[in-house]
Order: sequence, then structure tokens, then C-alpha cells
Amino acid sequence: MGGVCAGIARRLGVSAKTVRVFTVLSVLFFALGIILYMMLWIFVPRRGEDQSIITRTGSDKREKEILAVGSIAVFSMLVALQILGLNAFSFVTIFLAVSALGTLVVWRGASEREREHLHELTSGLATLGSASGGGWAGIALRTVVSVVFIIVGVANLSRVSHLRGGAFGVVVGATALVLGIFILFAPWWIGTVRGLSNERRARVRAQERADMAAHVHDSVLQTLSLIQRAANDPVEVARLVRMQERDLRSWLVDPEAFGMAANPPSTLAESALEIEHEVEDSYAVGVDVVIVGDCALSPDVQALLAAGREAAVNAAKWSEAPSVKIYLEVEPEQISMFVRDLGKGFDPSAVPGDRQGISGSIVERMARHGGRGTIRSSAGTGTEVELVLPLKSPAP
Amino acid sequence: MSAALPRVFLVDDHALIRSGIRTELNGHVELVGEADEVEAAIEMIIERIPDVVLLDVHMPDGGGRAVLEAVIKQQPSVRFLALSVSDAAEDVIAIIRAGARGYVTKNIEGPELIEAVNRIAAGDAVFSSRLAGFVLDAFASQIGDAGTPPPFDPELDQLTMREREVLRLIARGYAYKEIATELSISIKTVESHVSAVLRKLQLSNRHQLTRWATERRLL
Repeated sequence: MGGVCAGIARRLGVSAKTVRVFTVLSVLFFALGIILYMMLWIFVPRRGEDQSIITRTGSDKREKEILAVGSIAVFSMLVALQILGLNAFSFVTIFLAVSALGTLVVWRGASEREREHLHELTSGLATLGSASGGGWAGIALRTVVSVVFIIVGVANLSRVSHLRGGAFGVVVGATALVLGIFILFAPWWIGTVRGLSNERRARVRAQERADMAAHVHDSVLQTLSLIQRAANDPVEVARLVRMQERDLRSWLVDPEAFGMAANPPSTLAESALEIEHEVEDSYAVGVDVVIVGDCALSPDVQALLAAGREAAVNAAKWSEAPSVKIYLEVEPEQISMFVRDLGKGFDPSAVPGDRQGISGSIVERMARHGGRGTIRSSAGTGTEVELVLPLKSPAP
Repeated sequence: MSAALPRVFLVDDHALIRSGIRTELNGHVELVGEADEVEAAIEMIIERIPDVVLLDVHMPDGGGRAVLEAVIKQQPSVRFLALSVSDAAEDVIAIIRAGARGYVTKNIEGPELIEAVNRIAAGDAVFSSRLAGFVLDAFASQIGDAGTPPPFDPELDQLTMREREVLRLIARGYAYKEIATELSISIKTVESHVSAVLRKLQLSNRHQLTRWATERRLL
């Protein structure tokens, strides 16, 4: 934490991790480890700095005074506790007092960078409510509160040991002890967790920004420059705009899937959208598709879609309407598809029989697959092609 | 004649869109004001009480929905026509369920927009073909289908045959007049069917609808 382990490691020529493991073990078995660590932290100068923390503290008169007042305060508190009948001068309490004092020294003597670090560690302190006034007061309050808890806990436990009291004392003592330790370390723990999640969030945000920038560049700016070049060709401009609009929409809906190699459509709705794109791109008319329900593709369904596509292409090519509307509905017993335009229309009975488009691709194809195709059109009001495919079994 | 023109208020945060709409509506409605942000919009709408508010769905600070909810609380008589570039199901369903009486996309042609505004001003509903498709989809699953909880209120949770027919024709791109001719009913009857569907759409507890609405709120 204070860089002590790394320092020792450099001096001894072993890896910092090894030293850390040993330190943690020594702390676990003899609390002495902590004191040793604190001492080293305080007294040994950091690499690249010529003063240790203690000399820095000592060099400032005001700091010295604060240190003196603090020591006296802690000492008198211990004395008061002793008088009140608590075993204040036990090894543990003295050790804790020293640690608390050590923390103060560390804090007051810390360099700018270290102080920042400590601030981060204590930023989670808002949870303590009254201590939100700032790092300094926070540390003091927290230390006092936790020391009190720990003292109460230890006192309870030690009394229990020679009075052979009931389990109640043990529970109270242990709880107080744990609470004290928790309060002492909670801000550090919270701070670390929060720091980690903040960092992760920042990384995700940066990633999203980069993706967005890449998309704007590849797709939007490219299209804009194409539009500028095609400025005197309104049909091409309309086509480019529609293409870009579709692109952006699909990207908005699912940025993850965007740009992936398009799988061949596997459902009715997907193929219908593909027809929309194809007709829009090839004939520069708007195609509105409304789909209700969906089902898997089968040869019959594909025939229906092929017929519908033919109808849409016809509408785009001949009707002179600015847009074509496609409506697809999947019901349990049938699939229906309507292709409609408000163009100039025609008289179906006047179409010569050798025109493949309508009779062959639409009406007969539907009949071959057990459905029917109907064309309603009259000059001036537009055309609507209705395709119906009965389903043998209910749609999945 | 000018007294009969609907009083319209325009809310959109894009100046270009506002000026485009202003040009299209010019002479056909009485534009009583416009706003480019949520708070100003709420204040001015409550002060001027227009017949119809043309409301952009996507705006900073809560979007059109924030305006709609705040105004309806104080002035339930104000009617809203939602306006958006997106016709994604979540957007449409959420704003309609919040109280808008209709929904059009921003690439709507001028005459259609004017017709929609007049229809809203008259207290009817405006369904785009895609919205009609969504509604058919949301109300599609039959009672008794696996995975569909029983309807809470059959009055609200099901469409009548006639409503279904009307919606289907809207989805196919028919205008109200064409629907009336097709079904041999009056335009008024078509309008009342659509209004009935709007009511169901706003009040029904069908899980498809509530799911769309809640998902949107969580975003």
C-alpha cells in the first residue's frame, strides 16, 4: 500500500509479490507485522524523495504541535478508559493507538500524490453521514469510532475469558470487534470497488465513442460525399439518402449486429425486408413494409414472397407512384400479402396474355403452391395485388 | 373560416424541422406558438391551450413524453399528435399509451400532416400504417394460446372483427375514405372504430403492450 514491500523487494533482490505474501502472513500470525510495516512506511524515505514521512512531519512546526496534541489526546483517552475499569493498556489497545497515531502521521506527512491516494481511499466515507465534511475529519472520526468499538470488543472478550461469562459476552465482544475493523477498512474497500467500476465504465464509454465515430465516418460521411458528387442526379440522391437512412436505423436498433456478414434471411419478415431494400435500391422508389407476425421459410412461403417481390417490382417500374406499400400478415390458418401503389393503374383484362410478369410470376405461381393471387387495378386509382397462402398446419 | 382553423402548438428541438413544418402547415392551421425544449413547452402550452400539440418524441430532458405527461395532468383537453423520425414499436406504443392521440413520422407529406392535425383536432385518432401493424401484432395472439395470460378485461384486451378489418386496411395503406368505401360504412364509423382501438391501446393491460411500455421507461 505504501510501497514498502516493493522497496524491500528491490533492496533484497526478490520479487515484490514474495515480500507481500510474507508480510501478509506475518500480519496474520503476529500483529507485529503491521507495526513493522507502519514503521518502515513512516521512517524510510520513498524512492526519488529525500525525506521520509516522519522527517517531513517533523520539519513543520505546526505539524509537530498537532502531533503532540494528538498523542496527548489519545494517551489521556487510554488513561480514562483504564480508570473506567477497562483494560486500556493491554498490548492490543496500545498497538491500536500507535497505529492510529501512525495513520495520522502518515496523513499529515504525506506527499501531494500520497495524499491524493488517501483521499481516494476515503472518498467512500459519505456512507458515514456525519463524516462527509472532508477526508481529515473523516479519518479522525472513523479512527476514533473504530478504536472505541475494538476496545469494547477486546475488553468484553478478555473479561469473558477469566470470568467464564455466558455466550452473550462473547457475541457482543466479537460483534464489536468485527464492526470496529469493518469501520476502519470500509472506506478503503468501498473506494477500491468504486474505483474499479468507475474505471470499467470509463473504458466502456470510450469504446462506445470510438465505435460511434467509426460508424459516422464509414457510413454517414461516405454517403454525404457520394451525395455531393451526385448532386445533379435527384434519383441517385434519393436512393443514397434512403440507403443511408435504412443503414442508420438498423444500426440504431442493433449496433452489435451491424456490419456483420448478412446471413441469408431465415424468416418471412427478414426476407420481406430484403425485398424492400432491393426494390428501393434498384428502382428508386420508397417501399413501406408492415409485417404482422412471422414464420419460418418454406418452399410455399418463398413462392409467396417471390410473387410479392414481382408485384412490388412491377409497381416500382410501371406505376409511376413515389412509393409502394407492402403488408404481410401471418395468421394461424393463412399468410396474406398485399402490394399496393397509388400510381396510374391499368386494366388487368387488357393486358395481353403473353406478358409473363403478372400471369406467370404472380397468379400462376400462387396457384401452383396452393394459394391464390388477385390483382385489382383500374386506371387512375392505382393497383393492389393480393396474395393468399393457406397454411396446412398452424404457423409455428 | 379562419375561426375554424385548429390552433396548433409545435414542439421540436430542431429548428430546421420546425421551419419545415411551419411552411407545410402555413395557411391551414393557426400556429399559436412553438418551443424547442421541454420546460418552455409545458409552460407555453398550459398558458395558450392549443387544440393540437405537434410533439417531437425525441428531445433532451425527458423527450415529448415529459411534455405530454406534465400538460395532460393540468389540461386534459389538449390533444397530442406525436411526431418522430423513428417508428420503432417501443417509441410508438409508449407515447400513445402516455396519452398521444396519434403518431406520424417526420417524412409525412404536407397534405397528410394537415389531415392528421385536423383529425386530431376533431377528437379522432391518427394511425400510421405501421402503427396499425403494431397494434394488430400486439393484439394478435388468440385467447388460449400457450404463453398468453388470460385477458384481464375482455372489453379492452381484444379487438372486434370490424376493428381488425379497419386496422388491416390502414396497414395496407388505405385512407379513411377508401376504407369506408371498401367496407361500405361511413367515414364517421371508420373514425369511431379507430378511436375505439386507440382507447384499447391506451388502457389495455395486454402483456405485449405493458412490456413495450415498461421497457421504454427503463431506458
